[in-house]
Amino acid sequence: MLALAIYMILAVLFYMIAGQQLRVRADSTDSVSPSVSVGEILSDMRLEQQFTVQSDRFTSFSVLCGTFGRQNSGTLLLELYEQAGPDEKTLIEAFSVDLSGLQDNSWYTVQLTRPLENAAGKTMLLEVSAEDSTLGNAVTLYYGDSVSTGRVEITSEGWTPLLQNGQPLEGTLCLRTTGETDLWFGRYYWYFAAAAGLLLALYFWRLCRLKEKGKTCLGLRLINAFSRYRFLIQQLVSRDFKTKYKRSVLGIVWSFLNPLLTMLVQYAVFSTIFKSDIPNFPVYLLTGIVLFNFFNEACSMGITSILGNASLITKVYVPKYIYPVTRVLSSGINMLFSLVPLLLVILLTRTALTPAILLLPFALACLLCFCTGMVLVLSASMVFFRDTQFLWNVLSMIWMYATPIFYPESIIPDRFLIVYKFNPLYHFIRFARTVIMDGVSPEPKAYLICLVFAVGSLILGGLIFRKAQDKFVLYI
Amino acid sequence: MIEVKNVSMSFRMSQDRIQSIKEYLVAMAKGKLKYKEFWALKDVSFSVRPGEVLGIIGRNGAGKSTILKVISGILKPTEGAVEVRGNIVPMLELGSGFDFDLTGRENIYLNGSILGYSRKFLDEKYDAIVDFSELGEFIEMPIRNYSSGMMMRLAFSIATVVNPEILIVDEILAVGDEAFQRKSRQRMLELMGGGTTVLFVSHNLDQVREMCDRVLWLDHGQVKMLGETKEVCDAYQI
Repeated sequence: MLALAIYMILAVLFYMIAGQQLRVRADSTDSVSPSVSVGEILSDMRLEQQFTVQSDRFTSFSVLCGTFGRQNSGTLLLELYEQAGPDEKTLIEAFSVDLSGLQDNSWYTVQLTRPLENAAGKTMLLEVSAEDSTLGNAVTLYYGDSVSTGRVEITSEGWTPLLQNGQPLEGTLCLRTTGETDLWFGRYYWYFAAAAGLLLALYFWRLCRLKEKGKTCLGLRLINAFSRYRFLIQQLVSRDFKTKYKRSVLGIVWSFLNPLLTMLVQYAVFSTIFKSDIPNFPVYLLTGIVLFNFFNEACSMGITSILGNASLITKVYVPKYIYPVTRVLSSGINMLFSLVPLLLVILLTRTALTPAILLLPFALACLLCFCTGMVLVLSASMVFFRDTQFLWNVLSMIWMYATPIFYPESIIPDRFLIVYKFNPLYHFIRFARTVIMDGVSPEPKAYLICLVFAVGSLILGGLIFRKAQDKFVLYI
Repeated sequence: MIEVKNVSMSFRMSQDRIQSIKEYLVAMAKGKLKYKEFWALKDVSFSVRPGEVLGIIGRNGAGKSTILKVISGILKPTEGAVEVRGNIVPMLELGSGFDFDLTGRENIYLNGSILGYSRKFLDEKYDAIVDFSELGEFIEMPIRNYSSGMMMRLAFSIATVVNPEILIVDEILAVGDEAFQRKSRQRMLELMGGGTTVLFVSHNLDQVREMCDRVLWLDHGQVKMLGETKEVCDAYQI
């Protein structure tokens, strides 16, 4: 009952925090790279640009304008039509832009007063004219014929060209559109939540029934094992923690200090020597460091968790998974401590804290599960092949460079993108960054990916470990 | 209650233990991945009734320790099955779960939890453990500063504070100086005579005759004899 109540509260709370991002995804289209301007837009010039909206809801668009470095006066008329057929257009909204407010070579964004619903796939027509502009007192708009994604240039052949007084120009207007796309998950969120709740209730009911009958199943055994070995796990974790800093002067302070110092060094290196233009770099960096350090520590310590406890394993019967699991839990507690400096840096850099940060435990829990799975495999393989340790050293280094910890995601070349898609840490760290730095919940897909990696690793690790554990005694 | 059914335990002994992937691959390529099979236990069956004290005797390498490990769950039998009802406290080797950087107090809780005691139980028995070990104020010191005698005394006190349903004893342990040895032997005899089920491995036939209800004689991994104490001990001594 209690579990159900907690589940319901969580479901509602989650909807309140993440609701907006669950229902809609904000998306925007890229503009072509500006190459030429249309020249001064005078009273006799009329520009027409057709474009297609991809989002469900069309909210705003921006154009790149130039003022020739001077202060102009007058107005620019932007008329947005919906083009239903070749000669059939209906005015959506007309915007008069005060020229004196424009900045040279900057994007001017126009917000639709009422977002256009059901816009996906519709063809729009933007007409630009300036009634009262004269030579020397006018602005211009840029257009171009290629798209630069930072890596490749795509020429825009086949696109509807920009029309100047009815004559096509070579290229299209520099135009960005933004909109929102409805996500089916958000629409049916309550159905999903209710269904999951129902399944949970059914499962509990079944557990209770089985318990009454005295039978066991996986769930019951898990609960039993947990209540039985909770004290042991607690003791082993506290031993790990007590002995870790036992004879150091600063003791537990190292848990705070370590990630902070790492961040300072990397921050110094990457903000002076290798310039990176990541906004809010300290938080970006520290989030990556904290999560990756946890993973690295858990794995490199956990790898010897079976061998290191050999004297116990050969003498007392304790379920062997206890040792790797406690190792990961100890590292997890260590990570919780290192969240404190992260919080400190967040406050110092004045990053806006939103309720979305309450979603961070989800990423951490997924990471914890993922690490547990990894450590189960590594510690089991270490028993049979001592090389695992050295292989892991190399592997963890590769893994570190394959995860965008101190470099921006945008520098990843396209052909390596597939590597990142399969790097679970990339997804966990990205999740955490979205929550902390953007202050919003990630899209539903991110939850799913994190969950799949976490559960998958746990199941795989568990299976491998279970298959191997009976032979441990013979090899250690 | 313990039920041992047709338990066999085989160890694969390769000529040299392969511990790296390279060695493994090389050995596999050469086709030299041969193992010598060694049966430490062969088709051993017996059962122990609640409250019974079963002695296990036999020469070195007869499989006495192996059967204890199989029963306590450390080793999984190659064939056969073991059914155990009740919680087992193995007294195979004292102090194996000690952490040398922790204090005596912390080690009592750590070692106790490994032996399967609950927190409540340890809280209750904490004073009894400290009293019995005669450690006094040393209990708050890291045990790396302990003498070996002190460590054994602490380990013994933790291990024998229980009233387990099944007790597994590999030789009666007597540790410390003469006075403590007498005390610890007394405690062991109390434990074993206290109505719990006991599996008792010993080379001391006098003790076996004194303590056990029945005796199991193992020889080269097989049951040579199982029966009344006097009968089996007499046969063994010839």
